[in-house]
Amino acid sequence: MIRLALPKGRNLATARAAFRAAGMPLEVLDDGQRQLRLVSPEEGLEILLLKDWDVPLYVQYGIADCGVVGSDVLEETAGDLLVPVRFREGRSRLSLIGRPGSLPKEGSQIRLATKYPRIARNVLRERPWGAEILKLHGSIELAPLLDLAELALDIVQTGRTLKENHLQELEVIRQVAACLVVNRASFQRLRGDFNRLFQSLEKAEVVT
Amino acid sequence: MKISAALPSGVSASFFSAAKQRRRLEQRLVGSLEGRDFSEVILPILDYLDPYLPMLSVGGRSELYRFIDRDGEQLALRADFTPMLARLIAPRLASLELPLRLFYRGDVVRYREFRPGRARESHQMGAELLGVGGEAGEREILRVFLELLRATGLQDLRVVLGFAGVLEAAAEECAASREEAAELLAQVQRRERGAFRRSQGSAQEALMQVVENGVPEHFDALGETAGEGCLQLQRLLQEMTQDFPEIQLTLDLAEFAQVSRRLPDSEATAGRSYYDGLLFRAFAAGEASPLGGGGRYDQLFEAVGAHVPAVGFSLALEQVLAANPEEASNSEETARNEVTR
Repeated sequence: MIRLALPKGRNLATARAAFRAAGMPLEVLDDGQRQLRLVSPEEGLEILLLKDWDVPLYVQYGIADCGVVGSDVLEETAGDLLVPVRFREGRSRLSLIGRPGSLPKEGSQIRLATKYPRIARNVLRERPWGAEILKLHGSIELAPLLDLAELALDIVQTGRTLKENHLQELEVIRQVAACLVVNRASFQRLRGDFNRLFQSLEKAEVVT
Repeated sequence: MKISAALPSGVSASFFSAAKQRRRLEQRLVGSLEGRDFSEVILPILDYLDPYLPMLSVGGRSELYRFIDRDGEQLALRADFTPMLARLIAPRLASLELPLRLFYRGDVVRYREFRPGRARESHQMGAELLGVGGEAGEREILRVFLELLRATGLQDLRVVLGFAGVLEAAAEECAASREEAAELLAQVQRRERGAFRRSQGSAQEALMQVVENGVPEHFDALGETAGEGCLQLQRLLQEMTQDFPEIQLTLDLAEFAQVSRRLPDSEATAGRSYYDGLLFRAFAAGEASPLGGGGRYDQLFEAVGAHVPAVGFSLALEQVLAANPEEASNSEETARNEVTR
């Protein structure tokens, strides 16, 4: 039996739809919505419901064999995990956001608000301007709106929130997709089961 | 004033039964190595930095704890036993009778941002066999490694075998540039299926098979040299499977896809690898990181002026203890006796 960590955030719907299309409806999730640990014997899965940011940690430690996590969170947490498939649906962008206009001028020093300080540091290495990174935990768009920071580095899905708040997506840094990540040791132990799972998802055309 | 008992992130102290357990394990493993005529070497923890810089990539250098000594010399704390041993043994080789069978134990210290299963200070035990080239050396060192794993008493062990640089020719065939080939190898190591799934051409198909099953259907799809390396691995695997039926041995070239046959240069961004032949790595069920591993690294010894075939391995003792059922049954007591952060 594979132990699968699912995120409670925006990627849960993506993962459920993909698994359903691949013939694994994960109905057990409907039965026990308040439970954090569910077993679906017919699908050969034990499911853990976790916060997005905790999924890589559970998989890396081998508590879960695999998990669904956004590529943004995966890059920020920098775990040593296998990433066999990326889901087709629920894609978004990691972008620099600010008031309408352009990016900072060469040599300028600004503040940048983000949930992703590690990615921000890497982005800044290639810039001709510098920034103090402010780590926030949510409502990142408020930072440039209320002048806590000139820029924000955050996820943009439709861009509606930005538009409503008179903000602009100034530069797309990365495309973001939900990924199925796997623990290295678990893959060695359950290779056959995993390959069957990946093939089902590929056959259903829900992964790229 | 109250003095804190906290330790820096990624280091730990063992007391009472936890310390006893580690020493017991160490003694068992030492006994096994001495029974195979391996002699102990004791190496310093403080060393010059300069000799190692040409061998380290940017990533490897960033892991070092280094500092300027009072006399202005640049020093570093030991981050790896093998390059130090190679450097120190090189000038003595002419007067020593080969083959040499050596083992070491002690701490290595590497700076790491906190990541599961990756302590900054790790207690290692390792062995080196110098002067036995080709399959004979690889067979002997792998056998010693498997005997040590057996001596740990761990169940449900898996050892994967591979070969340094074995996928490079196939990746270069599929890629337009060296950078693209390096990215393809990174994708193989992460087992990213999307890059190879709709592949055309025998090299790409072979890489997809490696991603999925660890090996291609036909070894020669990876090129002539790689194909020969794979056949040699298969022979080794069959022999060891027969002698160690309790350990699950598999060929998995994807596990080592990014291990190049070339020493990392100062331009490389990652990697501490100096392997240029056989590679192996052991996993215990449910463990975050491998228990240990090793392989052939003739080029490392050549780089320090020692022209001698070299194979070896290391085991991380904390990882072995964490995976030990004996440890699990004493976990409550261990929790009381370990100060970790």
